[in-house]
Amino acid sequence: MIKLQNITKTFTTGTIQTRVLKGITFAVEKSEFVSIMAASGTGKTTLLNILGCLLKATSGSYLLEGTDIETLNDDRLSEIRNKKIGFVFQTFNLLERTSALDNVLLPLVYADVYPADARQKAIRLLESVGLGDRIHYKPGELSGGQQQRVAIARALINDPSIILADEPTGNVDSDSSREIMNILGVLHGQGRIIILVTHDINVARHAGRILYLREGRVDKEEKVSP
Amino acid sequence: MKLMRIAGVSINVIATHKARTALILTAIVIGIATLTVIVSLTQGAQKLIMKRIQNFGPDAIMVHSGAEKIRGPSTAGQANISRKDISDIESVEGVKLASPFQVELDMPIKFGNKFTTAWVFGVEPDWKDAWRRGASKGEFITAADNDQLSKVCVMGQTVVKELFGDSDPIGESVLIGHISFKAVGILEKRGQSPVGTDFDNLILIPFSTASRRLMNQPLYSSMLRVIVHDPSKAKHIAAQIREILRNNHHLALTEEDDFRINTVEEVTEIIKSTSKTLDIFLLLVAVISPIVGGLVLMNIMLIAVSERKREIGLRRAVGAKKKDIVVQFLEESVLLTLAGGVIGVVAGILIAFFIGRYGKPISITYTPFVLAFILSTSIGLFFGIYPARKAASLDPATTLSR
Repeated sequence: MIKLQNITKTFTTGTIQTRVLKGITFAVEKSEFVSIMAASGTGKTTLLNILGCLLKATSGSYLLEGTDIETLNDDRLSEIRNKKIGFVFQTFNLLERTSALDNVLLPLVYADVYPADARQKAIRLLESVGLGDRIHYKPGELSGGQQQRVAIARALINDPSIILADEPTGNVDSDSSREIMNILGVLHGQGRIIILVTHDINVARHAGRILYLREGRVDKEEKVSP
Repeated sequence: MKLMRIAGVSINVIATHKARTALILTAIVIGIATLTVIVSLTQGAQKLIMKRIQNFGPDAIMVHSGAEKIRGPSTAGQANISRKDISDIESVEGVKLASPFQVELDMPIKFGNKFTTAWVFGVEPDWKDAWRRGASKGEFITAADNDQLSKVCVMGQTVVKELFGDSDPIGESVLIGHISFKAVGILEKRGQSPVGTDFDNLILIPFSTASRRLMNQPLYSSMLRVIVHDPSKAKHIAAQIREILRNNHHLALTEEDDFRINTVEEVTEIIKSTSKTLDIFLLLVAVISPIVGGLVLMNIMLIAVSERKREIGLRRAVGAKKKDIVVQFLEESVLLTLAGGVIGVVAGILIAFFIGRYGKPISITYTPFVLAFILSTSIGLFFGIYPARKAASLDPATTLSR
């Protein structure tokens, strides 16, 4: 589970200080699907980076499965990202000139132990997102929706307990968008925490709960009835 | 192993970014090839010099008339070594023989309508023992030739080639100055002297004939070559010879020598001092060119780092530690420089062979291989570490969100 306690983040450019997050407190229970709704420029990416252990908060505490993230060094944070968190980005962030299969295998390059069945596992994951016949395709040869599904397979290769998705449907057509949301639903069903950041209320409604972010604070919270 | 997996990433990047790979490889190849060529050439030159010093002979002491600090032999005009000097030197303990010879430089030589110039040496029969060099064809100068002031000559192979081409000169008459000499033999080939003059552009005639008929120097000898039994005593004997000559020439303590004595040691020193400047210059070029290659590498790697920010951010997001990124970029640099080093050495040796075929002395040893291996690895590490560190220090959050 995840527990944020009064998280703030201030960026300093020269002498100008910008307070992006002004004290965020919320918790996400085990196998919960939460959407964070925010207009652009309200610090949602910053919040996601902090949740993803890519960025440290200026103050406040962040507990991830009982570990106090704010006290960890860079190497430990890398390990946590590698083992516990799967990222899904708006722009997919696949490696160019690299096959879908190798893209899915990427996180394992940095794992301490390389599983013997890594390849089979990657192929299974690609099959599970409907790309079993495209494993040797390079990103340039795939549609936006297909690329995002490769990215989801990549996020799953280490069997993470948390999936962080930043506008995952922002760059794909509506058909693909539906498919991706279905996949996220399936992943949620497998007992993973899904945190989805979006500005699209229709996308946000796939979650069980919506947090509205405004001016660096959680403005209001809404349960979605299934 | 993680290191191998990351190496796989580096190899993949090298293979897929062809233009970049080609640029870096070219820069390193040029650097290492230059180094290899220079090492081969300098070592070749060194070997040649050692051979020339061998030509001088480790057991030889050369006595020159006159104290002028010139290179090459003293001529009959400067001659001041007397008969008594020679017999005194011969009686020094450890001296095997002392062979005097008269020298005139660049005398006109004619045969029919062919013309050349050569050094003319008036020699005694023991010249061939003093120089370990006799006639490769025909006769050498004999004692009888000296007694009778015979007008006979033994020609060096350069002279033969100039005047006779491929035809046989023995029995023919050539004009040295205005006097006609009959060719009786051809001198063994010797190559170049320690200072690089052609030891085959030489004509030998009897000492007496040279002194009285050609060079007008009946009393003194211009040069003396002394051979000692034990090369390690050469320096000591040279000092004794100096004492004898100073005494015989009645030189006061304040006066300088009116002769010059060279042992192989001094000759070696003279040669080394001249080749040193050139060696330092070449060494500089040899070292600088791989460094320039390294700078090219660093430059391109830095560009690569800023082009690949997103990729680096992504790798960090999926779990790469800072040191994993450093390792990836360093492995990329070192693999490229190593490959460049291998190609460079091979290219350099091919070029050296090519130069060698056009007459320059080259020497190919294991040195360039070892040098190239060490140098290209260290270039990869040294010039790769900064871009690699820069890549690792990128903030993954900012590189991804753009």
